[in-house]
Amino acid sequence: MSHTPSAGTQPTVIEKVYDFVDERVGLKLLTAKMLNEAVPGGSRWAYVFGSVLLFIFIMQALTGVLLMLYYVPTADHAYASTQYILHDVDYGWFLLSYHFWGSTAMVVCVFAHMSQVFLWGAYKKPRELIWLVGLGLFAIVMGFGFTGYLLPWDQRAYWATTVGVEIMDKTPIIGDFISRLLKGGATPGQMTLSRFFVIHVMVLPASLMALAGLHLFLFRCAGPGGPFRGTPDELKAKTDYFFPRQIWKDIVGMAVVFACICALAFWEPVVLLDEATPDPGDYHPEPEWYFLFLFQHLRLQMFSGEFGQFLGALFFPSVLGALLVALPFIDRKPERNIFKRPIALTLWVLFMVSLLIFTVSAIINRDFLE
Amino acid sequence: MQPQLKSRVRCADREVGEVTKVIMDPLSFEVSHLVVSMDDAGERQVPIGAVQTVTDDLVQLRSSSSEVMSLPPFKRDDYVTLHEIEVPGLEKHVHVAPGEVLVPFPELERNVKRRTFFANLTYVMGLFIGLPLVFPVLKFVMKPMYAPFDNRWQKIGNVGKVKADDTGTQFEFKHKVKEAYLPEAEIEKNVWLVKATPALLEKVYQGKDMEFRDATGKTLWTNKKDVPYVAFSGKCPHLGCGFKWRKHKVLGPVFLCPCHVSIYDASGKVIEGPAPRPLDLLPIQVSESGEVQIIDMEFKAGTKTQSRMV
Repeated sequence: MSHTPSAGTQPTVIEKVYDFVDERVGLKLLTAKMLNEAVPGGSRWAYVFGSVLLFIFIMQALTGVLLMLYYVPTADHAYASTQYILHDVDYGWFLLSYHFWGSTAMVVCVFAHMSQVFLWGAYKKPRELIWLVGLGLFAIVMGFGFTGYLLPWDQRAYWATTVGVEIMDKTPIIGDFISRLLKGGATPGQMTLSRFFVIHVMVLPASLMALAGLHLFLFRCAGPGGPFRGTPDELKAKTDYFFPRQIWKDIVGMAVVFACICALAFWEPVVLLDEATPDPGDYHPEPEWYFLFLFQHLRLQMFSGEFGQFLGALFFPSVLGALLVALPFIDRKPERNIFKRPIALTLWVLFMVSLLIFTVSAIINRDFLE
Repeated sequence: MQPQLKSRVRCADREVGEVTKVIMDPLSFEVSHLVVSMDDAGERQVPIGAVQTVTDDLVQLRSSSSEVMSLPPFKRDDYVTLHEIEVPGLEKHVHVAPGEVLVPFPELERNVKRRTFFANLTYVMGLFIGLPLVFPVLKFVMKPMYAPFDNRWQKIGNVGKVKADDTGTQFEFKHKVKEAYLPEAEIEKNVWLVKATPALLEKVYQGKDMEFRDATGKTLWTNKKDVPYVAFSGKCPHLGCGFKWRKHKVLGPVFLCPCHVSIYDASGKVIEGPAPRPLDLLPIQVSESGEVQIIDMEFKAGTKTQSRMV
């Protein structure tokens, strides 16, 4: 830890620079404060998701900036410039595919992170605010997926946006305004592409950085929850600091996720469909897989008609969102052990099972439509 | 009260030294040990259980001085200071500071009245900057949102393409659009044409001519109930996907939308699936040579009643 030179040796240039900065900003203390965060019950592989998400975001930002060197957000150039990235720019296919699979990894890790907080009861007092800000981050991640999807301006992009915005349009009172505001008109076109681009590369990254900072600040205020089992003495005996054991696990988690994304980008690189047009041709519109369960449940007969559709597309998802927001205020018992919280466990299992069923049935349905 | 730094420490038999450090338990946030400097004989770590009473400047221990002396010496390297570690909430529980640390209040600040007034003034100034921006910004982002309807007739092809009665035939056409400052562009669109038998025509129009009006309510065009060609907007009234004419295993040939599987018969009526209303009919003209023209209208999807968007 110490960078002070041992007696008899001259300080190196790096040590001098370090000491110069330390004298002015208290770098040593700051580093200590950052790394010496006590992890009650000790470091665990299960805790890597937060750090992994931060890593994925940084990589998305980097690859995103690189893609913007060639990408042009106009209706007549977006498709061609994306094809250019994929086929002509050296390693363009890799960076774009990395960005694409990175977004998928982000959604998967957000799901894992949220499930874990839910199952560990880590949203309970005093961590309610971390949970709320986390939900905001979840919404931003979904917004990234939704807006990023349009940018290549191919058929998949066009139809996912058309349907997505039509759903928002059904929001009572403000729906029409919101959907026109997003589209910049009555139908998707250049104005939509411009708006989605700005949201994707400016508004959402700035919001995510602000909220992620707040998320971490609040996390530091409340401290890690630790395991839900174990006496204080047992926890104390196993306690270690964020550095080095947890950081080591986090780094390994990041490396694994990085390898997975690279492998996917390598074996399943992004392939564009035809250029976007309001005539779908033979294309069967479908959203990205993590929206498939929403997509599939709108096919149910119970969500037919104007009212049914309102229930399925807006009301139930909003109720689910509202319940997640209210969760730490409804569930106020201090008990965190998931095996002593039967309602929470049942709800989580039910949600995951229905998520799985709807996603799988959407995939099976593809064959029936051919 | 918590033991204070620099307090003298007295054992059952005699005074042994003073409190130099206090050790906190990071889980319970309580003081767990005192570090006592034994008047030139090194430091000892005394568990808090050994403390009998604590007063302002004195800590009374139960043990004798020899018992304290026999405790192992304090190992500084086993500990970090409060400033070097992050234990949320711990600092709030520490009351062992040797006293308050003070800095003088600046002269100019001492008699300032109207602090609340100045605080509120910052909000007022904020509003003064922000409020005038609301309307211009709103108008700025709203510029392209409500474009007038395009009621031009659009040539889409010849009815010769329609091979059979009561079946859907797709007509693709180029629709000219002009967005903002951009040059006029052509986008590919499509409508579905059905040459209806009288029975189907009756189902479509239910014996009444169909009027289309513009935004002001003026009649644009009337589809006569006896013209056998009907045109459907290519946009599914469920959520706006593009539907197709397909053979369904059970229902036979139908209009089917692959998105959420809304199914319509040749008259546009919903026969299965989630769609809230029939397919949208468009104004249609067929010339004597069979050239078809339509007005390309689009309606909001997902509503029971039609509401025009384009």
